[in-house]
Amino acid sequence: MSAENSTGGLATVERYYQGYGSRARELKKQGKQIMGYLCAFTPVEIITAAGFVPFRIKGDVNEPITKADTEMETIVCPLVRSWFDMSLKGKYEFLDGIVIPHACDSISTTYNVWKNTLNLPYSHLINMPHSTDEPSLNFYKALLGTFRTSLSEFTGREISDQSINQAIRLYNQNRAKVRELYELRKTSPPLISGAEVAKLLIVSVSIPVEEANQLIDSVIKEVKQRGAVPAAKPARIMVVGAEVDDVTFIDLIEDSGAWVVADDLCPGAREFFDDVDVTADPIDGIAERYLIKIKCGRTFREKKGDYEDYLEERFGHIGRFIKDFGVDGVVLYIYKYCDPYGFEVPAMKSYIESVGAPVLYLEDEYSMSTIGRLRTRIQAFLELIGSK
Amino acid sequence: MTEEKKPEERKKRRTATEAASKVGPMVKAALKENLKAKEEGRPIAYSFIFSGYDEIIRAMDIVPAWTENYAGVCGVKRDAQRFLEKAESENFSRSLCTYALCGLGFDSWREELGEMPPDPPWGGQARPTVMLGSGQIICDPRYKWYQAVQHYMPDVPVYVGGLPYPPYEDDYDYRDVQDYYVKYIVEELRDLVAFLEKHTDRKMDWDRLAEAVDISDRTWNMISEAYDLRKAVPCPMGTGDAMNTMVPMTFMMGTQEAYDFFKDLYDELKIKIANKEGVIPDEKYRLLWGGGLPSWFALTDFNYFNSKGAVFPAEVTYRLVEPVYELDLPKVSDPLEHLAWRWVKYWSYRHDKARKRPGSNPDVERLIEYIEDYKIDGVVMHEAFSCRSWHPGLIWQLNQLKRVYRDIPSLILESDIVDISSYNEADTKARIDAFIDTLEAVKSQ
Repeated sequence: MSAENSTGGLATVERYYQGYGSRARELKKQGKQIMGYLCAFTPVEIITAAGFVPFRIKGDVNEPITKADTEMETIVCPLVRSWFDMSLKGKYEFLDGIVIPHACDSISTTYNVWKNTLNLPYSHLINMPHSTDEPSLNFYKALLGTFRTSLSEFTGREISDQSINQAIRLYNQNRAKVRELYELRKTSPPLISGAEVAKLLIVSVSIPVEEANQLIDSVIKEVKQRGAVPAAKPARIMVVGAEVDDVTFIDLIEDSGAWVVADDLCPGAREFFDDVDVTADPIDGIAERYLIKIKCGRTFREKKGDYEDYLEERFGHIGRFIKDFGVDGVVLYIYKYCDPYGFEVPAMKSYIESVGAPVLYLEDEYSMSTIGRLRTRIQAFLELIGSK
Repeated sequence: MTEEKKPEERKKRRTATEAASKVGPMVKAALKENLKAKEEGRPIAYSFIFSGYDEIIRAMDIVPAWTENYAGVCGVKRDAQRFLEKAESENFSRSLCTYALCGLGFDSWREELGEMPPDPPWGGQARPTVMLGSGQIICDPRYKWYQAVQHYMPDVPVYVGGLPYPPYEDDYDYRDVQDYYVKYIVEELRDLVAFLEKHTDRKMDWDRLAEAVDISDRTWNMISEAYDLRKAVPCPMGTGDAMNTMVPMTFMMGTQEAYDFFKDLYDELKIKIANKEGVIPDEKYRLLWGGGLPSWFALTDFNYFNSKGAVFPAEVTYRLVEPVYELDLPKVSDPLEHLAWRWVKYWSYRHDKARKRPGSNPDVERLIEYIEDYKIDGVVMHEAFSCRSWHPGLIWQLNQLKRVYRDIPSLILESDIVDISSYNEADTKARIDAFIDTLEAVKSQ
């Protein structure tokens, strides 16, 4: 069965979003092996090359966290708790294993909890470094080598350079298609809503990359054919944060009278805009992409030059999005207990304001219980933008 | 009322070892030394404990300023709130590490004023020459905190070197990967030396480094031997005291002073054991502090446990050493390589043991080992809301302990390391009382 069916791309996205994991479940029944993973720092190319369908574990803002609290502390990032809660409740019962990158404390310090509570046939922590210097890069390559060997031993099949290169090609195509998709957001009004993009990207990390590529093509075609989104809205908003795998918050902004036209999120531009370079040893290109290219708060970059240069190095991509997508205001959407992004807020806020965009900083708990408060803050922010 | 309180304070002093009672003045002296170093223009490095570079700093004559320690001092003195609030006013979430928030509040305030914030605890924290972070498998603040401080002190360089250790895995043995871990750590430590030589006027004295490493090896052994003495019944030293003696372990490693401190502690504990002198006269329950940093503003909770007949002969927290002679370290001539091997082997110390017990892991194995060696009746942990480095996984460890070993009474306290607003004394005492009742019920079965 193909991801694109007679109901059209956007309808397929909606179906996969509402029944998150349904395609992976179908594939499992057909004999495919499904490898669960957390976060954009898992090198999906290697998992794909090993013959698995990588499947991103997702939370649910609408589902109260209950079972997770029996094994995982409530001081962990609420998104991670929701992922774990959904997993414990059997939502992802089809997984053959789980791969967890050392992205942040909430993810890596709960690795033992994931590994020993879910008791999946396979588990592996990729202990990725925080620094980007040459020794760190070489160390990370060695870690990826260990991961490759481990997966290979688990499957009993060699993971050849050729198969990794093939996976790299597919994922680079995938990223190129997402960049093409984002072009549709540059018009005024945008051709596709922020919620539609978010849903598409969220489901695209839950299905095989070939199907994701077909689905994105299908959505682009459909959106171009339907013409401009009818309603004109006064503000164009960019959302910046860690991982937002539920469209509730994006919906909230768009229901409040704005378009979300750009982001620095996962799944989102942060995750999809950088390719893996084609290198003689494919692990080199993969390591460069994940450790150096992806700009995330979890990766430390050394200050070179003056402080303004340093802010540009860390947040310059946000400034470029603001310019390229005609952004009127930026919402920093940061989860409570998120150390990598929580510590960024004053620097990030001052950088964004320095390039002329107003900023709304919101701390949230990945829960429907906060929606009313968030709506009030967003409406006030939009009024502020409108009055300028 | 005042008269009634005084005996309680005296009682607290009486239960501490003499060694532990020296620690407060030592911390005060170290902070004073930092201020003096600043006046004299000597290089000061903001530093994190347990980051593998203690001996390097000492050998280069750079004055460490342990920023976690200063936040802890503010917590002990119950004077952290104004710094936490200052950080919050700068848009740092109150859910972040409160050591870091306290430091960020203090630093941003000092930079704003151009001088120390008013009435800073114990004279305040001097402006550093450099800031030394650390990229480990745990503790995001170790690479985020000083980067965030740079927003207020952009002229102060930050170094973040990788310091990983192999996780406990089913799909490979740590020996399969240890060589490339050690290689990486050595490269990063070498880069750190170059960074310090570039940004301070100090040069590495390699002979002095070798001496500092030798002293710290001997200190690791001495600490292990001293703490092993706490297996005695009655227990001569509790976790309350260990939260003091962690100071020379974590802030003075690589110095003769640290070694001498633990040699004195060892001698003192020997005498106490010979005299059958315990922390409390009538020891009823022996507890393990099984994880979590303490509430620095509520260390008297340990005395409350004591008042109920409970002692803590052992703790996981701040026992950051193992006997070096048991680590199976290769003989190497480069002191940096030795540090790297010691780091990797320390973290892998219980991997083999864990493999022998299905479902176990090194953290759980350590709990089991302490429960058996120290004749433990119950386990107490603390969940500090602001710290995701040491606290996630504690619930699972307790659950797993009971699954793979045996049922044992346990208590998880909830509060914070620095933020006193998270602490409810009456509730804490009520939970301790209920736990003591459980211990009693189990004992009487």
